[in-house]
Amino acid sequence: MSTFDSDHAAKIHRHIHSHLPSDPALRVKALESLAVEKGLIAPETIDAWVEAYSEHIGPMRGARVVARAWTDPEFRARLLSDATAAITEFGFEGNATGHLKAVENTADSHNMVVCTLCSCYPFSILGMSPAWYKSAAYRARAVREPRAVLAEFGVELPEDVAVRVWDSTAELRYLVVPQRPAGTEGWDEDRLAALVTRNSMIGTDRDLSTGAA
Amino acid sequence: MDGIHDLGGKEGFGPVPVTAGDAPFSHDWERRMWGLAREGICPSMTIDSFRHGLELMVPGDYLTFSYFQKWATNYLMLMVDSGQFTLEEIGQGHASDPSTPAKAKTTADIIAQVRAACTDFSVADDTPSRFAIGETVRTLRQIPHHHTRLPAYARNALGEVIAHHGSHLFPDEGAHNRHVGQHLYTVSFTAAELWGDDANPRDTVTLELWESYLVPA
Repeated sequence: MSTFDSDHAAKIHRHIHSHLPSDPALRVKALESLAVEKGLIAPETIDAWVEAYSEHIGPMRGARVVARAWTDPEFRARLLSDATAAITEFGFEGNATGHLKAVENTADSHNMVVCTLCSCYPFSILGMSPAWYKSAAYRARAVREPRAVLAEFGVELPEDVAVRVWDSTAELRYLVVPQRPAGTEGWDEDRLAALVTRNSMIGTDRDLSTGAA
Repeated sequence: MDGIHDLGGKEGFGPVPVTAGDAPFSHDWERRMWGLAREGICPSMTIDSFRHGLELMVPGDYLTFSYFQKWATNYLMLMVDSGQFTLEEIGQGHASDPSTPAKAKTTADIIAQVRAACTDFSVADDTPSRFAIGETVRTLRQIPHHHTRLPAYARNALGEVIAHHGSHLFPDEGAHNRHVGQHLYTVSFTAAELWGDDANPRDTVTLELWESYLVPA
């Protein structure tokens, strides 16, 4: 396999910057046209990836995992000790979840996930990452002032609740397990899963509402 | 490298756009970019050479381009760098040497492919680990000029090892397509250690760090 030379790559980037229109639609069109003409991908395969991540793979998967953890203490124990293995019980393993850790919120602690160096995200259980997660503001501020960031999401965290921010610097990905809302005793897994928001599994939402369910 | 990508702790970006991006895609070109990237059209690319490619973008572009706009630019670079496209072909928008079309895949094919893409980054390694869980360690003050995963905000800081993951693919080498393992740890830092005494004493920031990023405290 060829090696990757940093100086050569930077030189190509500068050429692209200076000589190609910056319009992303044009850049992606050039990329797709060349890849298709060179037999690297079929256009229908791109459609299939979009369909997979629009309709089948998304935060409803993580919500199902959380609801199972709330209702099945043995599954909860398996999830907290080895989330990578636990999600295979649903067939949810895949892109970026080869090493997964579940971190559980409690009355006196709150977990929040960020990737300051790029935008690492557990795609196969949460689907596409939201735009705010990839924003420079979130990447910059989540580690430095998590409480101020949480307030922007409407989460007013008491001073005596500890925040643990997980910066995804390696191939380990995180799933936050939010607290089960009060008043949901006896609810089944489907009904509970509908309460679990995507943001609560990243850690920018905390107290789940039972109102809509 | 001390690149523009290393955003942790930087100030001046303003509020987080909390309501943005609830739909998976905002533009059709983003959908096309996602499919192209996930299908792996650049076989020589590794996860770390992809990241390093992003870090090597023109800094002003890195800060102003959206996520998928960065991907598009980086993929063009990677395809040229690996010799699959020429800059002339990109300018013309057509291949000078068309090949046999690739076989189309269905959504069911892709869902199966996603499951099979559950990559294990651990590396067989019988070297002893240097640090133990519960030990206090210090991170390096200086980093190399190439790809590395020790953010600037966590350099020269004292933290506690809270987990050891065995040996994982070392990104500093992986970025150059070299498959080398190194012990990986989860290290927890108090917010006060990183940001000063005004931080809430209960708060922590936790990172995964490779062994060579750490020295005994």
